[in-house]
Amino acid sequence: MLRRVATRLATGALTLVLVTALVFALIQLAPGSPLGATEDGLKPLTADERAALTRLWRLDLPLHRQYVLWLGDVLDGDLGRSILDRRPVATKIAERLPITLTLNAIALFLIVALSIPIGAAAALNPGSRADRWGGVATYLLYAVPVFWGALLLQRLFSVWLGWLPLYGSGGVEGIPRPSHLVLPVVCLSYGGLAYVSRFVRANLLESIPAETVLSARARGMSRLAILYRHGFRLAAVPMLTLAGFLIPALFAGSVIVESVFQLPGLGWLFLEAAYERDFPVLLGITLISGTATLAGILFADVAYALADPRVRRA
Amino acid sequence: MWPTRWPIHVCAVHRPGRWPGPLKRGLALVGVLAVAALAAPWVAGDPLRIDLTATLQGPSAGHWFGTDALGRDLGSRVLHGGRISLAIGLLASTLSLAIGVPLGALAGFRGGWTDSAISRLIETLACLPTLLLAIALLAMAPAFLNGIPDVVRVALVVAFSGWIPVARYMRGEFLRLKKAVMIDAARASGATDLRIVVRHLLPASLAPVLVTASFAAAAAILVEAALSFLGLGIRPSQPTWGRLLSDAREQIDQGWWLAVLPGLALYAAVLGFNLIGEGVRALLDPRTRGA
Repeated sequence: MLRRVATRLATGALTLVLVTALVFALIQLAPGSPLGATEDGLKPLTADERAALTRLWRLDLPLHRQYVLWLGDVLDGDLGRSILDRRPVATKIAERLPITLTLNAIALFLIVALSIPIGAAAALNPGSRADRWGGVATYLLYAVPVFWGALLLQRLFSVWLGWLPLYGSGGVEGIPRPSHLVLPVVCLSYGGLAYVSRFVRANLLESIPAETVLSARARGMSRLAILYRHGFRLAAVPMLTLAGFLIPALFAGSVIVESVFQLPGLGWLFLEAAYERDFPVLLGITLISGTATLAGILFADVAYALADPRVRRA
Repeated sequence: MWPTRWPIHVCAVHRPGRWPGPLKRGLALVGVLAVAALAAPWVAGDPLRIDLTATLQGPSAGHWFGTDALGRDLGSRVLHGGRISLAIGLLASTLSLAIGVPLGALAGFRGGWTDSAISRLIETLACLPTLLLAIALLAMAPAFLNGIPDVVRVALVVAFSGWIPVARYMRGEFLRLKKAVMIDAARASGATDLRIVVRHLLPASLAPVLVTASFAAAAAILVEAALSFLGLGIRPSQPTWGRLLSDAREQIDQGWWLAVLPGLALYAAVLGFNLIGEGVRALLDPRTRGA
C-alpha cells in the first residue's frame, strides 16, 4: 500500500515537472519579451531598470537554467513576480483563491448531495418511463454550454424576474454575498450534476447482479432496501474515481463562470494573465491547477485501493 | 465545460438492420446546420452590413432571427458563424485523429517503454483542462502561428490536447485486439508487424475510433465557442457563435433573441455531433444491439 502511494507520488511529481517544463518551453516561443510588455504604452525603461528586470526574470540565462532556478524557487514557495505589476505571483494567487474555492466547494457539495439520490431514484425502476425521460433530460442538460446557460439564467432570473443580481460580488471584498453566489454555483454544478447522476445510476445497476435482486425481492425486500443494502457499498468504490475528474472540469468551468459573473477569482486571474501575457502568473496557475488535479487522482487511487482489496493486492 | 472529455451515454437499444435513434437525430441536426452554413453566402444577406435604421428588431419576416444593436441581420450572422464552427470542428477532429491514431496505436502495439513514454505524455497533457490549455496556448501564440489563418490556428490549439481521448481509445483497442486469435494466426503465417497493424489491427479498430472523432468535433466546436466568447481566438470582426453570445452578454437586458438564437445553433451542433458519436457506438456495440 505504502509502495503504491510512493510510486503514485513519484509519477505525479514527474508529471508536474513535465507540465511546467512544457508551459515554460511554450512561453519561450511567444513573440516579444517581458521587457517589451512592461514598456508597452509607458515611458521607455532606463538601462538600469532594464538590467534589474532582466535579472528579476532571469532573461540573461539559458532556458534550462531559468527553468531549474524557477523549480527551485517553487520548492521554497516562491512563484516569481508578475510582469504586469511585479507583485509576487503567490500573493496574487492567494488573494484570488478564496472565491474560487468557495464556488467550487459549494458546487462539489451540491453535485454529490443531489446526484446520488437522483441516480438512485433512476436506478430503482430502470427502463421505466420516469427513468427514460430522466435520462433524456440529463443528456440534454449535460450538453448545454456553460456560457450559454449562464446567459439564459441571467436573462431569466436577473433581467426578467429581477430576483437575483446580474453579476459582481455585491460590493464586498473577498467572498461575494450569498445572493451573488446562486447563479454562478448553479452554472458551475449543472453539468456535473447531470454527469454524476447518470454515473451513479449506471454504477448502481452494474454493481447489483440480477440474481441478487431477484432473490432479495423473493425474500420480500423492497427495491429501495436492495439498493441500500447491496448497491451503495459496491457503487461507492467507482464513484471515488470521479474525484480525479471533477477537479479539472470544475476549474475549467470557473474560468468561464467567473468571467460571466465578474467574480475576481483564480479563473479570472488566469484570463487576465492570458490577455496581458503575464507568463509568471499563467505558469503559477498552471502549476496550482495541475497539482490539484494530480492530488485528486492520487486521492481517488488510494481511496480505491483502500476500499477494494483486489486492487490493493494487484 | 463538461462535455469535452467524457461524454455521457444515452441508453440506446436498437434493432438490427435499423439505424439507432441517436444516429438519426444527430445526423439530422448536423445535416441541417451544415446545409444552412454551406448555403449561407447565397441564402443569407451580408453578416457585416450595418443598418442603423433597424437596430434591435425582433424576429420578423424580413429578419428571421431579428437584428443586433447595429442593425446587422442576426440570422445571417448565425449562419456565417456556423461555417467557422463547423470548419473548426472538422479540422480539429481530423487533426486529433492524425495525431491520436498513430500515437495510440504505437503505444498499444509496442508496449514497453514506448507505451510508458506516450502514456506519460498523455497524462501530462491531461492534467490541464482543454480550455485552460487552449487559452494559455493562444495567449502565447508562437510567432510562427501568426501568419496562418485564424480557423487553422484555433483548430491547431484545440487539437493540441484534443488527440488525447483518441489516443487513449486507440491504445485500449490495440491492447485488446493484439491478443486476438486472428493476430496469432497472422503471425504464424509469417505476417510482419507492419502488415498486422495495417491489414488487421487498423481496420478492426478504425470504426470505433470514428466514435471518438465525432465527440472530438463536438468538443472542438464547444472550445472554439468558449474561446470566442472570452474574446480569444477568431478575429472579432468575424461573426462566430461564441462572439455573438459575447455580444449578447453586453446587451443582456436587450432583445431575448440575441442570446437565445445563436446559443441554440451552438447547442444543436454540440448535441448533434455527440448524438452521432453515441449512435455509431450503439451501432457497433453488441450489447445494445437487439433486445
